[in-house]
Parts: sequence; structure tokens; C-alpha cells
Amino acid sequence: MVPLMSERLRTSLGPLTLANPFVNASGTYGYGVEYASFVDVARLGGVSVKGISLLPRPGNSPPRTCETSAGMLNSIGLANIGIDVFLAETLPQLRELGVTVIVNTFATSIEDFVELAARFDNETGIAALELNISCPNVHAGGMHFGVSGAAAAEVTGAVRAVTDLPLMVKLSPEAGDIGEVARGVESAGADMISMINTIRGMVIDVDRRRPMLGQKMGGMSGPAIKPLGVRMVYEVFQQVSIPIIGMGGIASLRDALEYLMAGATAVQVGTANYSEPGISLRLADELEAWCSERDLTVTDLVGCAQGD
Amino acid sequence: MKYLHTRITEVTYPARDHALLRFAAAAEDIPAVPGEFVMIRGDWGCHPVLPRAFSLVESGAHGAVLVKAIGPGTQLLESMKVDDELVVFGALGKGYRIDDSGLRPVLVAGGVGVAPLLFLARELAARGQRPLFLYGAGTEHDLPLADEIAEVAELIITTEDGSVGEQGLITAPLQRALQDGADSIVYTCGPNGMLKAVAGVSQSHNTPCQVALEAPMACGMGTCKGCAVPIPDGSFKYVCYDGPVFDAEVIYGAADE
Ligand SMILES: Cc1cc2nc3c(=O)[nH]c(=O)nc-3n(C[C@H](O)[C@H](O)[C@H](O)COP(=O)(O)OP(=O)(O)OC[C@H]3O[C@@H](n4cnc5c(N)ncnc54)[C@H](O)[C@@H]3O)c2cc1C
Ligand SMILES: Cc1cc2nc3c(=O)[nH]c(=O)nc-3n(C[C@H](O)[C@H](O)[C@H](O)COP(=O)(O)O)c2cc1C
Repeated sequence: MVPLMSERLRTSLGPLTLANPFVNASGTYGYGVEYASFVDVARLGGVSVKGISLLPRPGNSPPRTCETSAGMLNSIGLANIGIDVFLAETLPQLRELGVTVIVNTFATSIEDFVELAARFDNETGIAALELNISCPNVHAGGMHFGVSGAAAAEVTGAVRAVTDLPLMVKLSPEAGDIGEVARGVESAGADMISMINTIRGMVIDVDRRRPMLGQKMGGMSGPAIKPLGVRMVYEVFQQVSIPIIGMGGIASLRDALEYLMAGATAVQVGTANYSEPGISLRLADELEAWCSERDLTVTDLVGCAQGD
Repeated sequence: MKYLHTRITEVTYPARDHALLRFAAAAEDIPAVPGEFVMIRGDWGCHPVLPRAFSLVESGAHGAVLVKAIGPGTQLLESMKVDDELVVFGALGKGYRIDDSGLRPVLVAGGVGVAPLLFLARELAARGQRPLFLYGAGTEHDLPLADEIAEVAELIITTEDGSVGEQGLITAPLQRALQDGADSIVYTCGPNGMLKAVAGVSQSHNTPCQVALEAPMACGMGTCKGCAVPIPDGSFKYVCYDGPVFDAEVIYGAADE
């Protein structure tokens, strides 16, 4: 079993050091506390909590999920408890459990992103702030910040000005030029980049002759999107010098190794948590064994597939 | 709450396209109330990615679920063999709240909705009650576990094609049962359309009714917010943790006065 701190697995993302490179992805692990009775959540590299907004959000009309080939669509619509309840009830539990907490935030305006960041900045027990500028499931914006370098830089810079928390910005695969967006957030002061969020897809119910999901479209995740994520991490690695947390379809040790070798310094595991809520710890154990057989550290692997 | 990497210990086929899977529930039991469920996934690679929800048919040292093969996930599970690996977690959700005020229990099952209700019928039998059990299906092949029910309950079967039991829908014997005047409580599980009809009949007889809903779900434990059902006041309930068992009026509203 991986100890809380393994020299091989420890990974450094600028101002944020993780005990191992496996973080559970926002929206796929609730607030982390739900799993504490049967997964040792303190041993996870971290938990990125469900996207938090200023006000609670009820979410979209159902159906909200459906399966695709080796993946799924979701149009949850960022249903969440809102910052007040999170700070009053959830964060204290996470602190008590010793979880490395990454607070994923969501807003539709720069002012709201700034207000969220300013409020989290005063709290203890937050390892990093992750800005979701890439949610495809909310009508009133969200993703528009993530598809242009200038807009992404503007929101990142505004948040940077109000917080000293390690700042992670989550990119969308829908950006026409994801390298431009990555350079934009780096220049505006982001400490690291997480990528990729889901990409919009659709399933048609052929019996009803209508889209399956209540919102018609949903964000695609799971193994089906892994090659897209790996390609994008590989590209972005060449264009920025801040660390990248790679995700999209990780369900095995090999998947995680691909992301590390493409250039990610850590990874997030999303959809795979649904079928195996302890998968990240299992993969951390497997990575420890894999590295020790070869006498390597995680850091040795980062970006090793780059070059000719 | 248990989280098991376990193996199938026994498979039986109580009806065409149905498998009853038993799995070792480790050293300790899976404690469960009828209506609670588990999420299950086999070791079958990348597709389908999500686990599937199944009501527990019993609790104890071996968990058991009744699987009806209707799509890729249930087909894979239905074809599994003894010793195949499963990831199972549960028991999840909120089950039936068993009445203890002396109401006559009337259990109404549609198809594979029989699973939690057989568990409930046995629980009631253990308390010395012999419930009325109304069991409806399309045809005779869709009535798994009918013999087991008959051991613990007074069983009435309906089929739409009349191949066994009364021909017609399960709401007909329900009407009759609730007309006889005994103060009753209805517990039901089955297709969503049937549940609504059963809730309507119950309501017209001022009889309390608990429905076990289904919705497509990913996590099974309240974290993904996928299994939302809209309720009359415009808000949502989540099948996996507010339910799957609800008081019927929470879902369908109170009777129009
Ligand atoms: C709380 C709960 C308890 C359940 N208990 C049992 C049980 O004891 N035995 C049993 O056989 N089945 C049970 N189900 C239903 C079972 O989970 C679905 O049949 C299964 O997920 C279908 O998976 P599939 O891959 O075979 O088919 P899919 O391809 O996923 O689905 C086939 C068809 O069923 C629909 N569908 C998929 N999932 C669901 C769902 N969860 N509810 C309603 N419709 C769905 C799809 O839209 C599609 O039309 C339960 C569901 C829930 C939510
Ligand atoms: C049901 C669901 C809800 C999600 N909610 C959020 C969210 O609130 N904020 C966010 O930044 N990403 C959210 N995501 C995206 C994931 O964090 C992740 O970027 C994506 O699913 C790709 O990883 P995967 O293939 O491992 O799931 C969600 C994904 C799913 C499946």
C-alpha cells in the first residue's frame, strides 16, 4: 500500500505538492466526504470537489446522463450546494479527514469568479483553487471563458489579483487553439493547468426520435476521450512552462502513464470512479510498483514521450 | 456501506433472460432494508463504463440480485459464471419504511420489480404477516421467483396476454383489494408507468403508497447528481439517495381536492 508520502510518487506542481499524482476529478467524487467511510480519502493525491458556485444550483432537467461507447454523456448543469453550505458544513469535514482539497469553482461572470476566489482565499484547508472555465452544460456562459486565450487570461488575471492560493485553470477541449488558451492563462498568473474537461456530444433515442438527454447535448467523458486528452496535453506541454494535470478517460495504470509521458505532472480520474470508487488508490499502488521495478520516480516520467 | 471486490458464488436462472446472482459479501453481511440497492460492475473492460443498479433480493453473508437482461450491461451480467469477478458497493439509498401500525400490506410488483418486494415479503413473513402480493408481467416468461413469493404471501398474478393468471393489468386486482375496506398500505416497484397507475389507484382509496423508482444513474450515492426526478413543486429528488423508495405523493403530488 502506498504510504501517505512516497518519494517516488510525490509530485510537485509549483506551489502545490501532492503525495501522489492521482486526484479525483471534479463532479465525479462529490465533495469527497461521501466516500470516507470506505475509501481512505486522505491517501488520495487530492480531491477536486464538485464545482462550487456562489448560489446553490438545482441542475438541469433530466435525463442527465447516458452511456456512449466506452464513455458517457452528462448534462448535470453544475448542481451544487453553493459556497455558503460548502464553507459551513463540508470544508470542516474535509479538514478533519485530512483530504488534500482542490476547490473547483464555477461562475458565469468574472465578478462572480473573483468573489468566489476572494472568499476561499480566507479559508484554511484548501490546497488549490481550480477555475472551471470550460463547463459545456450551462447555458449562460461558462465555457466561453475557456475557448479564447484573451477571455481565459482576463478571468485568470482577475482571480489571481485576489488570491494567493495555488491557482489551477481547467481548460476545454472545445477551444479552437488550446495552446493559445494555455499561454493566456499562464501569462495571467495561473500556477498550473488542468485539462481536459468534457467535450459536447449527443445521443439520439431512436425509439423516441429525439436526443436522449433532457438538454439534448452533454459533456462526453470516459475512455473514449482519452486520445484527445493525451494529444492536447502533449501539445500544451510544448507551449507553457507551468505544470499540467492531465485527465480524460483514465481507467488504468497505462492510461495514467500515457498522460505523464505526454507531459502531465499529475492526473485526475473522473468517470472511472463511478465503477470503482477506490480506483485512484489502486492506481497509485500500481504506479509505485511500476516505478520501483524500474527505479524511476514520477518526475522522471513527466513529458518523457516528447521529442523525436 | 460495503465496497467489495468479490466473486460470484452462485447463478440460477429463475426465468428466461433473468439471472439470480449471489456473491460473497465478505466477512460481514451487507446489512440492508428491502428497497435498498447495490451498484455492480463486472471486469469487462471499457464498455459499458458505468456500474448498474440492482435491488438487493436478500441481505446477509451473500448478497443476491435478480438481473433482467435488457441491454449491454445487464446482458454481460446475466451471462456471468460462478467465480467471475464483480465490484459491488452498497447497500445504497433508502428502502421501504415498513409500516408497524397494523395496516394490511399489499405488495405490487411489475416484472423485475419483484426483486425488492420478495425481500420485503420475506421480511413481513418474519414478522408474522402474510402479505397480499400482486404480480404483473407481459407474459408467463416474465414472472421470476413466483414460487418463492407463494411461500410467504398470498399471490395473485396477472399477465397482459393471459398466458398465466388473470389477463390484464395489475391495477385490476389492486382495485378489488383496496375496495374490500381493510385499511391497507401499498408497496410497489416496477416500470415507471405502472408505478404511477398504482399510486393513482392507491390515492383514490386513500391508501398510503410507497413507490421504488428507477432512473439512469452513474454514481449511485448522491455525488454525480445524475438521477434527478422532477417533483410537483418544481424541485428535484435524487433516486439514489432521496430514494429509490418514496412516498407516492412526494413524486406525483397530493390528490386534487
Ligand atoms: C434503484 C434501482 C434498482 C434497480 N433494480 C434492478 C433489479 O433488481 N433488477 C434489474 O434487472 N434491474 C434493476 N434496475 C434497472 C437496471 O439498473 C437497468 O436495467 C440497467 O442499468 C440497464 O443496463 P443495460 O446496460 O443492460 O441497458 P442500457 O443500454 O443501459 O439500457 C437499456 C434500456 O433501459 C433504459 N435504462 C437504462 N438504465 C435504466 C435505469 N436505471 N432505469 C430505467 N431505465 C433504464 C435505457 O434508457 C434503455 O432504454 C434498477 C435500477 C435502479 C435505478
Ligand atoms: C457527471 C460529471 C460531472 C462533472 N462535473 C464537473 C464540474 O462540476 N466541474 C468540472 O470542472 N468538471 C466536471 N466534470 C468533468 C470532469 O472533472 C473531467 O474533466 C471529465 O469527466 C474528463 O475526465 P474522465 O474522462 O476521467 O471522466 C464532470 C464530469 C462528469 C462525468
